[in-house]
Amino acid sequence: MAQTAINNKALTDKVARKNRIRHFGVVDFFILLFLSLWGLLILYPFYNAVLVSIVPNTIYQRSQGFMLIPPAITWDSYAFTFKNSLIFTGYRTTVIVTVLGTAYNMAMTVLCGYALTKTGMPGIKVMRFALIFTMWFSGGLIPYYLQIKDLHLTDSLLVMVLPMGVNLMYLLIISDNFRSIPPSLEESAKIDGANDWTILLRILLPLCLPLLATFTLYYAVERWNEWYHAMLFIKTSSKWPLQNVLRTIINDVNMLATMNVPGQARPDVQGDSIKMSSIIVSMLPMMCLYPFLQRYFLSGLTLGAVKE
Amino acid sequence: MTAQSLAGLRRARRNIWREIYNYRWIYLMILPTLVFIFLFKYMPMYGIQLAFKNYKLAGIAASPWNDFAHFKYMMDEPEFLPALRNTVLISFMRILVGFPFPIFLALLINECYTPRYRRVLQTIYTFPHFLSWVLLAGIMLNLLGSTGMVRKVAMVLNPEAGQNWNFLYDGNIYRWVLVLSDMWKEAGWGTIIYLAAVSGIDQSLYEAAVIDGCNRWQKIVNITLPGIVSMISIQFVLRVGYIMEGGFDQVFNTYTPPVYEKGDIIDTYIYRISFVRTSGVDLGFSTAVGLFKNVINFVMMLSANLFVRSLGQEAVL
Repeated sequence: MAQTAINNKALTDKVARKNRIRHFGVVDFFILLFLSLWGLLILYPFYNAVLVSIVPNTIYQRSQGFMLIPPAITWDSYAFTFKNSLIFTGYRTTVIVTVLGTAYNMAMTVLCGYALTKTGMPGIKVMRFALIFTMWFSGGLIPYYLQIKDLHLTDSLLVMVLPMGVNLMYLLIISDNFRSIPPSLEESAKIDGANDWTILLRILLPLCLPLLATFTLYYAVERWNEWYHAMLFIKTSSKWPLQNVLRTIINDVNMLATMNVPGQARPDVQGDSIKMSSIIVSMLPMMCLYPFLQRYFLSGLTLGAVKE
Repeated sequence: MTAQSLAGLRRARRNIWREIYNYRWIYLMILPTLVFIFLFKYMPMYGIQLAFKNYKLAGIAASPWNDFAHFKYMMDEPEFLPALRNTVLISFMRILVGFPFPIFLALLINECYTPRYRRVLQTIYTFPHFLSWVLLAGIMLNLLGSTGMVRKVAMVLNPEAGQNWNFLYDGNIYRWVLVLSDMWKEAGWGTIIYLAAVSGIDQSLYEAAVIDGCNRWQKIVNITLPGIVSMISIQFVLRVGYIMEGGFDQVFNTYTPPVYEKGDIIDTYIYRISFVRTSGVDLGFSTAVGLFKNVINFVMMLSANLFVRSLGQEAVL
């Protein structure tokens, strides 16, 4: 008995060694090479955007072939971008919409997600179906457009908040996770006199903090990237979110140039470099935060997909 | 006898009300979401009737019925059928190239034995998923456009091709630009679900395989792939269910009039005939096109979900 145990141990050790401390072979080299190249391919467009934004336009236009290291650097396009009042108002709108919208989304999602765990509640099946049905069928653009107009949300910041109440996908995942918490916990709290609010706020939510962090981030990213509703419903340019300001700059940089610096001839601050510096400025928060929050970002999908 | 059952019925009814009272806070919790879907999801569905009406400014209800005129006109509309064909074709191309690649990438990541480097790579791979197409379109147009770096390199390698640069204006190339840039953005994100499935595979299988003298390739083919094949099939079915979604954000932010013919999809088409075209298309017609798309979408998604459920898996979407 003891002998077989030792033998087994030796065997598993050998396997483990073979598994882990394998020598670095040719195949490993090519796998790493391919993965690194794909990584560079993901990074390069961003690097190129930085490059275009800092190389003086005259030099960039005349350059031949591949450019990796900037031959000269100028911050003019960034100075121009920061002087652009639309970038400033865009940032303001986007921050307001993101904060308000994410709070609104999370509040609705958590409350509704908890309600959906109450399978014994009269009428809950109908409500659940009514919710899920909206994932599969919608009225389409025009009826939606007319409905928003009827609600008088046009040209109001609320149009970028209210119509995006719950993401059904997130709602169902959160609800599933609430359900996986042992019901005995809830029952004992009920016996101690806790009502549904106390149970949700004091017991369930503290147990699900990483989950909540993940979906807060998802909602925040969605609100941050908002442009569609703004394009359809917001006519006043000072109320545009960042994405729509970017759209304008990308599509028509010349219009913007005449709008903001009348009569100023700046050959080095032109088209491409302004577009790219605006893009860099608008993705800065994401670039800085993403590596640190990556853990939360990546956990969401697997929460929903892989069940024991 | 009858008096007895009546009393029982009354008691049951009282119990229902008591139960509803017991759940009063829960009803209050679900109420905001119900109001939300009523206002922003079901009210637009009520507006679908516009597809069978001629739109009048007086409102949806006041518009007159028109005997399916919009649906009859749809086939004669010169840009409708091309948009429909493009939607399906571009979706098909996306599935052909964009679907297998994340699986391939996930297998490679799984074979990468340096955990720290692996984490760095995954951070890079998944990053573009969280950026908007507005922003990425800007970067992409700059990179591939007439002043972009790709053209500069092409000028050196093949001056003739560089001179006639038309990456963004040739419809056939444009379709591939759509497909490949979408793959560039989403492949890293797509790997996560497969890597999660791989991590669920029993490690002892690999140990046994090593003892049996399996090499790396044999382990992938005989253990890893069979271990994730159910996840692959689910993802595939659901992806096919989305075939009518051509990717509005991406197309809308990158296309230009020269590629309308090959790159226009149903969603961008609806947007254009409703808000851009000056020739005054009836809003009822746009609604009809939207309804056409949504009905196909509904049938596709429903059958995809039913099919996945028949495989014994739970899938809501």
